[in-house]
Amino acid sequence: MKDNTTKTGWLGLPPLVVGLGAVVAVVIFGWQFLLAESELEVLGLVALAAVAGWAGGKTGLTGSLNEAMRGHGRTMNGAIMIGLLAVIGLLSEEHFPLLMLTTMLLYLTVGLGLNVQFGLTGMVNFAGAAFFGIGAYTSAVLTTHSAVPPLLILIGGGLMAAAIGFLLIVPVVRTAGHYSAVVTIAFGVLFKTFLEVNDVLGGPQGLMVDSMKLFGWDFNDGPQLFGIEMSFYVNYALLGGGLAVLAFMLTQRLERSWLGLALDSVRLDETASACFGVNVVRAKVLAFTFGNILVGVAGSLYGMMISFIAPNSFTFADSLLMVSIVLLGGLGSLWGTAVAAVIVVLLPEKLQILQEYRFLLFSGLVIVMLLYRPQGLLPRGVRQFFPSWRPQR
Amino acid sequence: MDIGLLGQYLANGMMLGTMYALVAVGFTLFFGVLDVIKFSHGDVLMLGSFTGFTAYLGVLAVGIVNPWLTLVAILVVSITTTAALGAVIARYLVLPLKSAPPLNILLITLMLGTALREAVRLFYPDGSNPKAFPALLPTASVDLGGFALRADSAILMAAGIAVIIGLNLLINRTRLGLAIRAVAQDEETAKIMGINYTMIVLLTFGIGSGAAAFAGIMNGLYYNEINFGMGLLLGLIGFSAAIIGGLGNIYGAILGGFLFAGLQTVGAVALPFASAYKDVFAFGVVIALMAWKPTGLIAERSSDRV
Amino acid sequence: MTFSTHRRKLFSAALAATLSLSLAAPALAKDTVKVGFIGPLSGGVSNMGLGGRNSAALAVALRNQDPNAKYEYELEALDDECKPNVGVQVATKLATNRKVVGAVTHYCSAVAMGTVDIYHKFNLPMIVWAAVLPDITYGNDYTEIHRVNGTMINQNETAADFMTGQGYKTWAIIHDTTDYGKGHNKYFSQFLTEKGGEILGTFGVTSDQQDFTAELTKIKELNPDVVYFGGLTPIAVRIRQQMDKLGIEAQFQGVSGIKSDAYFAGLSGDLAEGTVTFLEGAPAAKLPGGEFFLAEYEKANFGEDYEAYGPFSFAAMSLLLDAIEEVGPDRKAVNAYLADVKEHDSITGPITFDEHGQNTVALITKYVAQDGKWVVWEDSEYADGTRKLTGK
Repeated sequence: MKDNTTKTGWLGLPPLVVGLGAVVAVVIFGWQFLLAESELEVLGLVALAAVAGWAGGKTGLTGSLNEAMRGHGRTMNGAIMIGLLAVIGLLSEEHFPLLMLTTMLLYLTVGLGLNVQFGLTGMVNFAGAAFFGIGAYTSAVLTTHSAVPPLLILIGGGLMAAAIGFLLIVPVVRTAGHYSAVVTIAFGVLFKTFLEVNDVLGGPQGLMVDSMKLFGWDFNDGPQLFGIEMSFYVNYALLGGGLAVLAFMLTQRLERSWLGLALDSVRLDETASACFGVNVVRAKVLAFTFGNILVGVAGSLYGMMISFIAPNSFTFADSLLMVSIVLLGGLGSLWGTAVAAVIVVLLPEKLQILQEYRFLLFSGLVIVMLLYRPQGLLPRGVRQFFPSWRPQR
Repeated sequence: MDIGLLGQYLANGMMLGTMYALVAVGFTLFFGVLDVIKFSHGDVLMLGSFTGFTAYLGVLAVGIVNPWLTLVAILVVSITTTAALGAVIARYLVLPLKSAPPLNILLITLMLGTALREAVRLFYPDGSNPKAFPALLPTASVDLGGFALRADSAILMAAGIAVIIGLNLLINRTRLGLAIRAVAQDEETAKIMGINYTMIVLLTFGIGSGAAAFAGIMNGLYYNEINFGMGLLLGLIGFSAAIIGGLGNIYGAILGGFLFAGLQTVGAVALPFASAYKDVFAFGVVIALMAWKPTGLIAERSSDRV
Repeated sequence: MTFSTHRRKLFSAALAATLSLSLAAPALAKDTVKVGFIGPLSGGVSNMGLGGRNSAALAVALRNQDPNAKYEYELEALDDECKPNVGVQVATKLATNRKVVGAVTHYCSAVAMGTVDIYHKFNLPMIVWAAVLPDITYGNDYTEIHRVNGTMINQNETAADFMTGQGYKTWAIIHDTTDYGKGHNKYFSQFLTEKGGEILGTFGVTSDQQDFTAELTKIKELNPDVVYFGGLTPIAVRIRQQMDKLGIEAQFQGVSGIKSDAYFAGLSGDLAEGTVTFLEGAPAAKLPGGEFFLAEYEKANFGEDYEAYGPFSFAAMSLLLDAIEEVGPDRKAVNAYLADVKEHDSITGPITFDEHGQNTVALITKYVAQDGKWVVWEDSEYADGTRKLTGK
């Protein structure tokens, strides 16, 4: 395969230059997009992105980018992380754009978790918002009623989601297809109803969540750097960014490992994988738990950031929105999930006209997607069965 | 608790059970003929009740005041429109994905349900607010020792049960039912035997959606209120009912519907926690049942699909 | 389709009104200052929110019309859908917008309870225009939080006093399980027990519950004189409807949250007839500045009624604008100004904030549903004995 790809990529430039250039372009674009206020600006930027994406596909830019990611993985990953830091730095005084950016990063983490369940193993989880909520409620209870260090609370949120997920393990693993779907759907509704009628956890009123504190440093105090008072959301954006990067790396490692291979085979054919010695039950339990932990941790931080949670934030419709992220991006495609998280979270926030129509819009989009492009925006490449496998298209 | 109250609870539960069974039967029919879950069913029901409400406004505008005439108009308009909509959904969203992974159909119909719900909320005049559905049935009531049996509730329940029996007869006693059962059992063989496959699928979806519309009107007449979100929970309950009863078996759907209503009533009345926990209890039992009997109480048999 | 065009029409009507009013003023280049409004603009209690929104918009339009005003004001009205989580989102949006100097917010107490911390965090001065839960002002020491309308304490005291005075003995209480409904339950139970009424049973219900037959069947067994409901209109409609279905013959008593025209729209026949409810403040026409408010509201030609709390919304917004005029568009300065409001003239009467930012509104008005309208008790046919409440 390697021999077929050209060494010099797009416009005759070396792939690494193209890759780094693309990161810089995305950083500038993201910065401007998050700051854009008028609908006209936003629409202009959206159009620009669409044209760039289309032209990139036509002129071989995408191929070059793949080449860069493959050949210079470490450099590119470092560049992307520095790029994310740059966006946060550029926006350090703006409350609202940072809040949106962090929300997007947390939804990306959720998307990655659901992707392991749905995209790799083929188990749809229609209770994403419920597990997200479990994380957030864990934060609410632990920050206000205990002295557990908040960083541990994040992990606690993930473990709690996993533990409650274990209650569903038996029905989820024993059932298949539609029957399995009904278990998670029923659980999603049950979770919201339970919170609404349960007074101990605030009922429909909801709960306050205390802020994130790290080594005695309250996240809700804006950091002072060189005399400039920054928005306290910088803290959350940095932590959310770290979380998303960590989740991304973990998911990528999992996908490329032999475990990921087992998950893939379970999705494709349970019976056949069992015949070849794959422990189907163990694979499913692993994927379900791994996904729930990621979703729970993200929910935990989300709760601390928005400081107030209510059952209404974790409805079935929200779970569907999370599933849309996975589907829009392309099943199993991690970069696709990132792109879809941007579209699903940021676009309605930026285009006020869309805000009210977002559920309608995204449900319509998924319907069209399933009919005409079921593989998603950035489809996952076909797995090649070598240990050093890298995704390629 | 005295007998009168027991009767009241029983009547409440029967009423709910009839509605749930009507919805569950739809799920079972669709699953029978096509092996698909059409999750937008609950929202189709909601659309049916809104169509009925619109028909009521239209009839009112024309100046007809006879409640029975109005009721007939509402039922005819709502059931035919909704049945047509069901067939359209089958033709353009479900059949094209027939060979795709089954989850795709579940997803596409879930999303369609959201789209329908949001469309009514956003585009129906003042759609985000509940609408007062007219009380068209006589409200005379008989007091049976603490148990007030009202004429309208009795009529609704009788009509609901009649529709369920009618559907059952349609499936098991008519030529159309024979064709539906043939398609459900083996698509290829049914085609070879000269059955118009697409036509039967569309008809089945039409019948199921019509039944949902009837349940929607029933719901409106019972609660005197309809809102854009009513379909979500009803659809979910209907689906759960069909699943715990065992998909692909019409008796399973009816059993599941009444079982779910029974669980809710027991959860509200007889168990030692606040009545608000009734849904938590009912769904909890559903999940537990799934762990115990992964394919439902009346397990699916390939020879007996509808 | 018709819905959105309908609303757009109303909106453009309001906009045109604002524009024509502002055009009438001499065209001086003034700085634009943004102020916020939050209320339930969609959902079951949207008519209350829209009435409040219109009244606040009216206050802004009148100020822009005033040639002596130092600033040009722009109103940003947001929808909290009466849901705490949505309220927190829009409050964050408003509070993090540096251009917004102050806000008039919330009809639903449950929402206000969630958002007060946000306003405090971002130092945004806010004035509650309708939410009645005491804890919104008394539950914290935030200098940003103020309220022009009264709390539910006085309301429930009057309610308990009045209903026991009518000779009722036994009650069944239904309340929604938000802080709002729980607050009503707490204060009403407390005052009722003091006045000698007996509570046979208390039932908490969720705010989107559809079927109340289980709760009501139990209530039927208890056979109370009065069914008290602490919650908002949409549920009140369902409960009243299903009470009739189960043949419960008891007097239905509501709280300020059901004093809305939607209560009549939702009930068929004469089911609403005879329902009693209580509201702080006087009817708009009887307020000190009521005539003026009614005339201006009429002139502005809004599509919706100003509803129960419109005058309070108008008064709150006027007070906020007065503050900005006085100390300039600066959040901290406005907070300092509002901390010291005493006998400030408004259409609802003089406003005086105590140390928690709470205005004292002692007057409570009793209403009864008569022929599809809320009628002040003293003016109704029930008071003069022509008609009788249930069980009398």
